[in-house]
Formats: sequence, structure tokens, C-alpha cells
Amino acid sequence: MSQQDSTEHQEMLSNSVTDFARGVDVARVRKLSETKTECDRTKWTEMADLGWLGVLAPEQYGGMGLKLADMAIVAQGLARALVPEPLTAVAVLASRVLADSNNESLKRKLLAGLVSGDTLPAVAWQEEAGTLDVGKIKMQATPFEGGFRVTGSKRFVIGATNADGYIVSANSAQGMQLLWVPRDAAGATVEFDTLADGRQSGTLKLSDVNVPKENIINTGDAAAKSLARAIDHTAVIASAELCGIMGRSLEMTLEYLKTRVQFGKPIGSFQALQHRAVDLYIQQELSSAVLADCLGVLDGEPDDKTRTAAASRAKARCTDAALLITRQAIQMHGAIGFTEDCDVGLYVKRAMTLAAWLGNANAHRRRYAKTEILEGAV
Amino acid sequence: MAMSATAQQVDFNAMSDEAFRAEAREFFEKDYPEHLRFMPRRLTWDESKDWWIKLSKKGWLAPNWPVEHGGMGLDPGKLIIYWEETERAGIGRMPDQGVTMVGPTLIRFGNDAQRAQYLPKILSGDNVWCQGYSEPNAGSDLASLRTEAVLDGDEYVINGSKIWTSMAHHATNIYVLVRTDKTVKQQRGISFLLVDMKTPGITLRPIRNIAGGEEFCQVFFDNVRTHKDNLVGKINEGWTIAKGLLTFERLNIGSPRRPLQAFEQLDPLARAQGLFNDQGFVDRYTQLKMDLNDLGSLYQRYVEKARRGEALGPDISMLKVFAMDTYQKLAELLLEAGAEYGAYADEITLGDSKIDLMTPFYTSRPGTIYGGSNEIQRNILSKYVLQLPS
Repeated sequence: MSQQDSTEHQEMLSNSVTDFARGVDVARVRKLSETKTECDRTKWTEMADLGWLGVLAPEQYGGMGLKLADMAIVAQGLARALVPEPLTAVAVLASRVLADSNNESLKRKLLAGLVSGDTLPAVAWQEEAGTLDVGKIKMQATPFEGGFRVTGSKRFVIGATNADGYIVSANSAQGMQLLWVPRDAAGATVEFDTLADGRQSGTLKLSDVNVPKENIINTGDAAAKSLARAIDHTAVIASAELCGIMGRSLEMTLEYLKTRVQFGKPIGSFQALQHRAVDLYIQQELSSAVLADCLGVLDGEPDDKTRTAAASRAKARCTDAALLITRQAIQMHGAIGFTEDCDVGLYVKRAMTLAAWLGNANAHRRRYAKTEILEGAV
Repeated sequence: MAMSATAQQVDFNAMSDEAFRAEAREFFEKDYPEHLRFMPRRLTWDESKDWWIKLSKKGWLAPNWPVEHGGMGLDPGKLIIYWEETERAGIGRMPDQGVTMVGPTLIRFGNDAQRAQYLPKILSGDNVWCQGYSEPNAGSDLASLRTEAVLDGDEYVINGSKIWTSMAHHATNIYVLVRTDKTVKQQRGISFLLVDMKTPGITLRPIRNIAGGEEFCQVFFDNVRTHKDNLVGKINEGWTIAKGLLTFERLNIGSPRRPLQAFEQLDPLARAQGLFNDQGFVDRYTQLKMDLNDLGSLYQRYVEKARRGEALGPDISMLKVFAMDTYQKLAELLLEAGAEYGAYADEITLGDSKIDLMTPFYTSRPGTIYGGSNEIQRNILSKYVLQLPS
């Protein structure tokens, strides 16, 4: 795609996101932990109609076949407006895994359904906290009637509340299996824990669940590679969301510094607060520079080592910056910043949820150290 | 002039980036003196002289000057390549005020006579310039400077003193900001003057810094007379001239190259000390390595902007703040990694390698002070970028 086309796409996406964001009801976001309506299917269909669920998906499945840099614009813009729908978990994580599948008929159903908004798949790969290693799983798939019988449990499943089914990873004699398990499959149960921002983290339990061979998405090395790549891509788009969160949060803080008067002056005239605001701004700009670089690296489809290093750079920087900026937003708003009525709190909470997902800053720095520093150093 | 003839024959901007880079790389690799590569400090004039002349003869001394004045006339993209290649080759910082500051000032604000008088002598190395901006009571608050110049016949008579003047004892000329009107707002009463260092009434006091070096001087002016033709620009417009020079050359200061150099010393030291088995150290090392990479991303963003020919705004101050903070943290970790050696004043020998732990520390300290301290940079960002009230 030419530079010109790419800019046009990005402008179009950016405009549609801005329009959509105007209609976001923050009151709904504030009540999520009670209402558990993080995924409003009417909104979801609207998002699908705007093309956002298919930004990355290939055109033959109804998608736009665009780049992560384009997806980042959508994710960042929606995060700014605190849109709670699990766009990144579905339109990046699930979309990437499905796109890598060779199971054409399943792909026609699931990936095309994902893009149209009719089917909402959630990826359930993780079992242990604090790991980015797709191989660290115990879920077992044993051969059964040409397909598999699967037992085990998955944690930290995002987008699970309204999911129509799950993409699970399991060990088998042939290596990893990526399998499609419909929500209503016999032996599948899901429970929820509420996250900081009111959204839900799913725990999926599978007990002798039959997966027919038509529902095998990917197998062996290809499955593990596909999942690892999808996770890195998702971590970078989550970084874009974090940039959206920090951006709006810093804007609100700067507005407050300019208008809140104490000691007869706007508090933004005090040097202690000015310098702190500048340091937050520097972190924001660093994040956006790193994000842009890493999007470029990932869109170039580099080798695995380069990809993981770039993904970890983005997630570590954007996470640290978003947590710092949103927490300082509370401090600089003073007591009002700690009240439920003030939107500042919503940004802190969303930042915490995104920070913890797919590797927090520490996890990403450790992973980066492992491949970029320690290999051959000790 | 013979030495600019080479430059005039080649339109560097018409070359491809790759071709220009290759030529610069070959020249810098082949011709720059080996023993002066990757020096952790600035070069003295004596150390610089040969390289200065060599650059000058090739027409490569002033990459930022227009061709008609004997420079290379590089556009921003090529200029950045030139810098990158000097960094890559480890070329030392010379007493280059004539090339970086005086030349561009005279080209933009001076008159033909001044350009004819001074530019060739900068290129030939006959004139070595130093800067007279700061004063004992005008540091961060530069506009409050009090060294004054009073017109007496055809001459300005200068009284006062300048401080933190780098390499003044090796310089033949100094450019000074002086007060020429005390009745108006501070910034409006300042002028830009050129002075020969041999003029009677100038005395120098070298200042030893904590690293033991004598790069700085205090320069005293006691009825120092300079001809009124040495006024650059109009009277009382010196502040505008000084500010006008803060163009995208400030980009250079945010380059990750120098902290990277310090980082490269950390690696063998950490290996020798077995520190890669220490998770506490590894965490800090990783954080700094990632900070450096991220600085690279930020730097590159400005480089691309400059390449597109866009003006660099006051937000570029953030590059200096982050670059220098990161540089200092690295230098500090280097000392800590040295454990007992972290207090050794001189180079240490570990296995086969010699490591100088102290110099990066001393080199990194003034980075957050000169050229507008990090606090001043934050003031600039607060006022002009975030537009916070005063």
C-alpha cells in the first residue's frame, strides 16, 4: 500500500472514531462493575459496521487487511473515550489467531463472523499469572473420534462475558492445539472476576469437552507461533490503548491546572506542578514515539526475537507512563480527583486493567532482558 | 578561497543518502586520528588543529554553512547523516564555536564586511572562538546580564566579566552579549559584540572543575575597546540573535550516541563482576537499556521532522531533558557496578579490558546544567508547549 493510501485510511479511521467517541456514555462506564454490560452487542454491531473489527482481517473474510498502525488509531481513539467493548481482545488477538488457520470452513464461519460482529470469539490461552510463554499450559487435549477431548482451565480471558465461544490452547501428543469451543459446549463453564475498571476477567473450565476435528484451528509449531505472534501484536495495540488513556488523562490534568485557582492564582502557575506536568508530558511523548516505532517494526513482520523485543518495549513504556500519568492526575486534581464523580478515576482504573493484561511492565522488561541482554551475557 | 573550492564542486544534496554516507564514513574512518576517537571529553585546540585543517582543506569543516561562504551547504537530512557519521567514528568535539555559532550568526545577522573578515579565518583555523554569555550573576537568568558596553567615538568600551567560558585560554576571539541600554526591559537592552582576545584589558582566570580539568575560564573586561564595526546586527538586538541560534542544532544534544558510549563500558564491567546473575542489577540495567532505546525513538522522530524540512519547536527541549537524565543514570550505574572500583579516580584494569568509570560520571554531570539547565528546559516546556500560566 502506498504512503498516500495509508494516510487516507488512517484519516478515515480517525474521523470515524472521533464521531463515535462523542456518543460515548461515561455514566455507563462508571457503572460497569454493577451492570456487567461491558460488551453492548448493539454497540458492537455498530463498531463492526464501521469496519473496526475487520481492520486487520484479510479482505476475503470481509476485513480491510490493513496494518497494526491503522488498528492502533482505532484502539487509541476508543480508549480515550473509555469505550469498554473488548475491541483489542477480539479484533487483534482472536482475529490474528484465526487468520493464521488453514481450516478454511471454520475460518469462513468464525473470522467472517468476527468481522461482521455476529460471532464474538474470546482467546483463552493463559493459565498462570505473570507469564508470556504460550507453552506454559497444562490444558490437555487427548484424541477422541478424530477430534479431541479437552480438560483444564484458563484464566484472564478478556471479552469472555459476551463471547460466543473460546479459542483455547491445549497440549497434545502433536504439540499445541488451538481449538474452537462454543460457549454452550457440554463440560464448559465460565466464571467471572471483576477488574479494576469494572470489566470482567473470565476463568474458563473445560471438563472432558469434545472438540470435533472441524473445530481445530491450528496445530503444533504453527499453533504456538501463531499464538505468540498474536499476543505480541495485541500487547502493542493495548499499548496504543494506554496511549489513549494517558493522553486524555493528561489533557484533563492540564485543563485543571489552568483553571483551578488557589492562593489567588491558577495552580498551574506553581513551578512544582509545572515541572511535574512537564515530566508527565515527556513520558507521554516518549510513549508515542516508542509506540510508532514498534508498530512499524511489527508491521514489517520481523523475526520472532525482534518482534518480541519491540512488543515488550512498547508495552513496558506505555504501561509505566499511563500508570504514572493517571495516578498523578489524581494527585494534581486533589481531593476531587479521588471522588467517583470525577472522570480521572475511570482513567486510572482502565490504565490498571490494561497494564496488567498480557504482561505488565515488569514482565515485559524481564522478557526483554532475557532475549536482548542475558542470552550469552552470563 | 582555495579551501572552499572542493565544496563548491560537489553538490552533496544531489547525492543519494547512501552515497553521501559512504563517502563520509570512509573519510572519517581513514583520516581521523585513531588516538582521538571516542574521547570522553572535549578536545583541546592543540589536539584538534590537524583534524580541523584536514576538514577545512577538504571543504568539510562547516557542514551547516552555505556553500558560498565555504561550507558544505547540507540540507537537514544530509547534515544529520554527517553528524551520525562523526558520532559513529567517535570524532571528538573540537573548540567549534566558530563553526557552530559565530559562522551561522554572521551569515544570518552580520554584514558583508564582517563575513569577509571573520569567516575565512574560522575555516583556516586562524581564529578560534569562545562564547561570552553567562556571568557570575546571570546564569539561568541570562537576560539579567550586566557586562556593559558604552559607545565612545568609534569604539565600544566593555566592562564586566563573563564566566563558564569554555576553552577561553585557547581562543583568539570571543563573542559577547553586553548590556547597551539599562533603561528598557532587560531583553531589549542587549547587544552582540565581537572582540579580539588580545585586546588590552582582557584577563583570564581559569576555573578548575571537579574533574580536575580546566576547560572553563572567567573572562574579565576592564575598559576593553572594540570597534563599532564589530557590532553584529542592530544595537539592542543581541537577545534576538542569541535566541535565533537555537535552531535544530539543538537536536544534536539529544542524540543517544553519547550515553550509548557509556553503556558500552557497563557491559564488560558487569560481566567481569558477575552482575548479570544479580536480578537487582539486571533490572536496573534493563530499564536503562530500554530508556536508551526509547530515547532513540524520540530522537529519531525529531530527525525525521528535520529531514522533512519542518521547523523544530520548543518541544525539542524534552529531548535534552530525557537524554541528559538518562546519561546521568547510566554513569551512576557504572560507578555502582564497579563496587570498590567505583571510587577509583583513574582507569581500572579488569581482565583484558581497561575501564574508566569516573570520566562518564564527570562528563554527564554538566549536561543537565549547560545550554539551559534541565529546570530551565522544563520551564520552557511548561510555558511554550503546555501553555501553563505564569
